[in-house]
Amino acid sequence: MQDMQLLKEGLSLMALGMGFVFVFLTLLVIVTTLMSRFIARFFPEPVAPAPSPGAATSRPAQDNDSMVAIAAAVHRYRRRRR
Amino acid sequence: MEKLLTLWHGSGIYNLTLGQAVMILVGMLLLYLAIGKKFEPLLLVPIGFGGILANIPEAGLALSALDQAIEVAKPAVLQQLADVLGVTLDAGASAEAWREALKGVVQEGTSADVLRTARDVAVGVGYGDGMLYSFYTVAIASGIAPLIIFMGVGAMTDFGPLLANPRTLFLGAAAQFGIFVTLLGAVGMTTLGWMDFSLNQAAAIGIIGGADGPTSIYVSSILAPELLGAIAVASYSYMALVPLIQPPIMKALTGQKEREIVMTQLRPVSKREKIVFPLALLILVVLFLPDAAPLLGMFCFGNLMRECGVVERLSDTAQNALINIVTIILGLSVGSKLMADRFLAFETLGILALGMVAFAIGTACGILMAKLMNAVSRMPINPLIGSAGVSAVPMAARVSNKVGLEANPHNFLLMHAMGPNVAGVIGSAVAAGVMIKYLG
Repeated sequence: MQDMQLLKEGLSLMALGMGFVFVFLTLLVIVTTLMSRFIARFFPEPVAPAPSPGAATSRPAQDNDSMVAIAAAVHRYRRRRR
Repeated sequence: MEKLLTLWHGSGIYNLTLGQAVMILVGMLLLYLAIGKKFEPLLLVPIGFGGILANIPEAGLALSALDQAIEVAKPAVLQQLADVLGVTLDAGASAEAWREALKGVVQEGTSADVLRTARDVAVGVGYGDGMLYSFYTVAIASGIAPLIIFMGVGAMTDFGPLLANPRTLFLGAAAQFGIFVTLLGAVGMTTLGWMDFSLNQAAAIGIIGGADGPTSIYVSSILAPELLGAIAVASYSYMALVPLIQPPIMKALTGQKEREIVMTQLRPVSKREKIVFPLALLILVVLFLPDAAPLLGMFCFGNLMRECGVVERLSDTAQNALINIVTIILGLSVGSKLMADRFLAFETLGILALGMVAFAIGTACGILMAKLMNAVSRMPINPLIGSAGVSAVPMAARVSNKVGLEANPHNFLLMHAMGPNVAGVIGSAVAAGVMIKYLG
């Protein structure tokens, strides 16, 4: 009988725990969403200054380079991991 | 000749018990897994080595002063201890039988006052706490080491993907189902008479399903310190096994079409949001679950240091030097719990089996939740990111990404999976808080 008691306690802990985790994270979703909206509304990020022409031309090249490096790294990683 | 005999009686070979030999082999196995197979080497190397140190015969590195005195002291000292503990020693029996009797009394637990006096006797005749025992007391029994690691994890975590898509928090919540199913499993095994776990022990075992090393060490140090060794080993080894355990479950529960779903690009997240988020989380903890405050408080603190941008140096220390130092001490302390008489029990096998189940169920629940969310929401959600809800940062997110790429080589899920991944850390800390509240 004591064992049944234990099982019952386990079940109630499960219901309570799972319920609470969901409630807490739901609250967190709501708070986070509200917070994000609030900040976007009242403290918008200062608009980023337009990139200078020099930077604009060098960007794509750099990106290509890093894309190549990333692709190579990913390839090698996957190979090693079979 | 007599001197030679003394030397022989003091040697390791003479005193080595079978259990200790087995545990030294277990320690070697952990080292092999860490070095040869790269299983969470940062933790398994110190844990494995600590396990070997803890089982060196006669050295008693993992024993308290009292245990050590009982283990090796001369009969006269044993008599003294017996007087204090209120045990009558059978005059005819051997010293070994006396030691067993005293050990039994100390483990059964007498009043704290008596134990303290007995300890004073042991210290008085020149025995001291073993090195690993001291590490354990300072680092784990006080709860400090797991919390500092959590602070470091906070300082390494980028909440950007989570803030861009807060709904992924639900995935982190769903994956915690594994924790509670495992708890139920442990309780069920007790009901069936296979094992003998108390509710506290069952809860500590369940936390393995949170796939979060520091959280499981923290919880078991509070709820079931006697199982800490097995629980820590199980949780770190399974974290290393995430790339093997998860993919079959992920593939079984999703169709090719679902795996190919491309998710919309995440919006950029402003710096202000990132600074306010840890504070918002902290306030929720303050309001609803103060028992999770140690874990989530340190986590938020670490994250705030990272995001606020004015304490670069502190954030850098928290995520590098400090976390490394603490990891060494934490690993050795966990190793001290790998002593033969505590670890070599049938229960350990049960814990290893349950831990595996916990991982599998957590993964499955995360995926099912993601499927549900995909069905009801306008924004497409690839079910593969659900499996990242079992924390194990960042391994689980990488697995989601990898399985996603296998289905569609142009579909990068990594950033999308980081959301549920860090949500899983929060989720398991919340679950830990609930358990500590309920049972502590």
